[in-house]
Amino acid sequence: MTIGIAPSSNPLRAGLRLSRTPEPCAVVVFGATGDLTARKLLPALYNLARTRLLPAGFSVVGFARREMTDDQFRAMMKDAVAKFSREPLQEDIWETFSHGLHYVSASFDDIDGYRRLAERLLKQDPSHGAAGNRLFYLATPPTAYATIAQRLGEAGLARGGADGGWARLVVEKPFGRDLSSARDLNQSLGRVFRERQIYRIDHYLGKETVQNILVFRFANGIFEPIWNRRYVDNVQVSVAETVGVEGRGAYYEEAGALRDMVQNHLLQVLSLVAMEPVASFRGDAVRDEKAKVFQAIVPLDDVGRDTVRAQYTAGAILGQQVPGYRAEPGVAPASNVETFAALRLEIENWRWAGVPFYLRVGKRLPKRATEVAITFKTAPLQLFRQMGSDNPVPNLLVLRIQPDEGISLRFGAKVPGTRSDVRPVNMDFRYGTSFGVEAPEAYERLLLDAMLGDSTLFTRWDSVETAWELVTPVLDAWSAGASPLQMYEAGSWGPDGARELIERDGREWHRM
Amino acid sequence: MAQDVTTIERIAARPIGVEPNAIEDEFARIWRETAGDTYDASSIRLRVLNLVAIANAADAEARYERVMEAMPQRYPCRGILALLDPAAADVTASISAHCWSSSAGGRHVCSEEVLLRGGPAQGRAVASAVLALLVPEVPVDVWLIGPPELQGELLDEVLEAADRLLLDSAAAADASSAYRDALAIGSDRGLAVCDLAWHRLVAWRTLAAQLFDREGARQELTRLQSIEIAGGAGRLSSEALLLAGWFVSRLGLSPADVSVRGGGFEATLYDGTRGIRLAVSPGDSAMRSVRIRTQNALFLVESHEANGHMHVREEWPDAAPHRTVAMRPVDDASVVVEALDDPDDASVFIDAMRAALTLSESAVDATGSPPASA
Repeated sequence: MTIGIAPSSNPLRAGLRLSRTPEPCAVVVFGATGDLTARKLLPALYNLARTRLLPAGFSVVGFARREMTDDQFRAMMKDAVAKFSREPLQEDIWETFSHGLHYVSASFDDIDGYRRLAERLLKQDPSHGAAGNRLFYLATPPTAYATIAQRLGEAGLARGGADGGWARLVVEKPFGRDLSSARDLNQSLGRVFRERQIYRIDHYLGKETVQNILVFRFANGIFEPIWNRRYVDNVQVSVAETVGVEGRGAYYEEAGALRDMVQNHLLQVLSLVAMEPVASFRGDAVRDEKAKVFQAIVPLDDVGRDTVRAQYTAGAILGQQVPGYRAEPGVAPASNVETFAALRLEIENWRWAGVPFYLRVGKRLPKRATEVAITFKTAPLQLFRQMGSDNPVPNLLVLRIQPDEGISLRFGAKVPGTRSDVRPVNMDFRYGTSFGVEAPEAYERLLLDAMLGDSTLFTRWDSVETAWELVTPVLDAWSAGASPLQMYEAGSWGPDGARELIERDGREWHRM
Repeated sequence: MAQDVTTIERIAARPIGVEPNAIEDEFARIWRETAGDTYDASSIRLRVLNLVAIANAADAEARYERVMEAMPQRYPCRGILALLDPAAADVTASISAHCWSSSAGGRHVCSEEVLLRGGPAQGRAVASAVLALLVPEVPVDVWLIGPPELQGELLDEVLEAADRLLLDSAAAADASSAYRDALAIGSDRGLAVCDLAWHRLVAWRTLAAQLFDREGARQELTRLQSIEIAGGAGRLSSEALLLAGWFVSRLGLSPADVSVRGGGFEATLYDGTRGIRLAVSPGDSAMRSVRIRTQNALFLVESHEANGHMHVREEWPDAAPHRTVAMRPVDDASVVVEALDDPDDASVFIDAMRAALTLSESAVDATGSPPASA
């Protein structure tokens, strides 16, 4: 995960911790006037520059339809960085950073625009020292991905610059809206770019606490021996949001919770929890193991039994009245799109056979939290029950991904006194209070990795495909009427069906 | 250093007997008190290391407190300041704590601090208290505040339990002696030695290295003509010397013809056949600038302390654009954390320090007086 491309022949590099500075390159952002560029990409690049993590030869070329000069683009990006950077904008640093910002105006299907882009890159390679290395970032609606890739190929930009440089393509989710469309999209990209050139971004994987799942599992000797069906009773991956669709009603109508969250973020987190140890973080080792997890997930043969779909109605969140989903802007009044989904999955391999994995995601739930909860089996002998103590609560390990990132372990402890009362207590580790330093934004880490050519935290096609193979039958079954849409009041923990889904197994959802 | 941390309580020093059990009990009581209602039935102390500071300087207490204000946010630890004070008649102890929470809310964390004070002749007694108060099974980092005087019973005893020694050659009256002693103590005791002056150079080394990442620029390293380093307010700084040592060792150069000039020195560096001019001179801050001239190019890194930035510039046909980046903070807390963060380049550091020692000793031989002083 920390494999950089530090030029090994640079004798001054030896021993420097910041050996992950990428090779000189140009980052081309398609959709440069959009929200993602302003909120995430440019602030991330600025912060990488500020902390000396960008190479000396570096430039950004914005590409979008809107007519704009370089200076206008710089002014627009300056406003964005001032507003959204995690660190305040510093004029001197911005001044030199912004010299590397350029802009090309064209529509995404205009081949002339790509030719101008190629000329621009060729022209500025010597002055910016980008050495023919290009990172193309598609911050556009997914409908434009295939066109952009095709035009990049036609303009000769898919193979790096004249100096023998590299070309990489970063695409945002969603990668398709079902198995068929994902395959079509992949074929479109594959006609121009090789798999190793394609970086499918899932910003969840850039989060420190998601990466910490691997550190927690594989840097500590005490957890891995009990990380299996012999000791683990069940695993729950939960993503609870208090927000509704936040003005993205039209998008959400096309997506729904299953496509928007489960197919990518939740399954990615699940794969990190369930994967086998790797021998190293080199090359594709982590992605190989994740792919094996996806392949071992048992397809759902009874979607009505093992899934729940629901939609929020009006209610109250944090003391505020909020409308129901169907009253949100851009949402059809009779919409049947789910804002909550719960699934029960099984992984058929030696480690996990028989251990249920419960996934749930929902909007307008009482609090915002993303957690992985691993419930362990209870002790084989309930010794203290014989002494009048209540049934012991099983040990619970919770990996909190956001907010208030950390890890807590629940175990039984004796209540002081002459009796042998056992009470569950929590041992908490919190990043925010234990390490006061601010973690970099996920996009900083992922952009840096893409520039370095480290694809560990990006999603490989086989994982995308197997995830869609799992999710698409669920979507199809839902469309056919399996698992009818349930309703839940905004501010509640979801529909009764979600509770029934897990209670059927004699278990309950971890209280977040 | 920390972006989102709020101090919620600073528990002032409380005198206490030099009795380890009593000190541990008092810490446990402080934790219960400060936790108040925010804890449930149990709590956890996170201590990833022991930081033992040893000092006899008057300002040591204030410097140590500033480090302990900031450092535990990255390295939650037990801090022990062992102070040999000419005014102290007996060994005394006091304890304090610093509790804080993040903007994310939730429970808070306290660092634990113990101040042990004794007279100059009570080093062994103070050391015994230090050893008894170390948290077991986590590393022991010893920070020598002030000039690196690497002798005395206190340091000797404490280093027996230490994993790493942090010293600051920039605080030494004679950098050569500091280098010599640091290299000797590291090899004699098998101890990792970190020089804070070296860690203040991280940004300089990084930016200088980045200049030669591009293939074309890297070729220029074979066409070096001169390296000019300016650093040290009034007199040459240890940072400037170490940076010179780093260039010499990393580029495999052999210094010769060292001559003292204007508070600094010049030398000729040989890479077999060619001579490369090295000039190290005082600037107006610990590190002011590095200029690397080749047959075709000039590479420049310089600091602008006033606005907290560093500028990187190249002058040649293939020059990369001019860059401005943020300076790294060089206060004690930041540099101590930097040293703890970056323990893996020991051989590069040792090579650089050896080369710096050679350069400074050659300059002494040439003039009879050391070129680098605090």
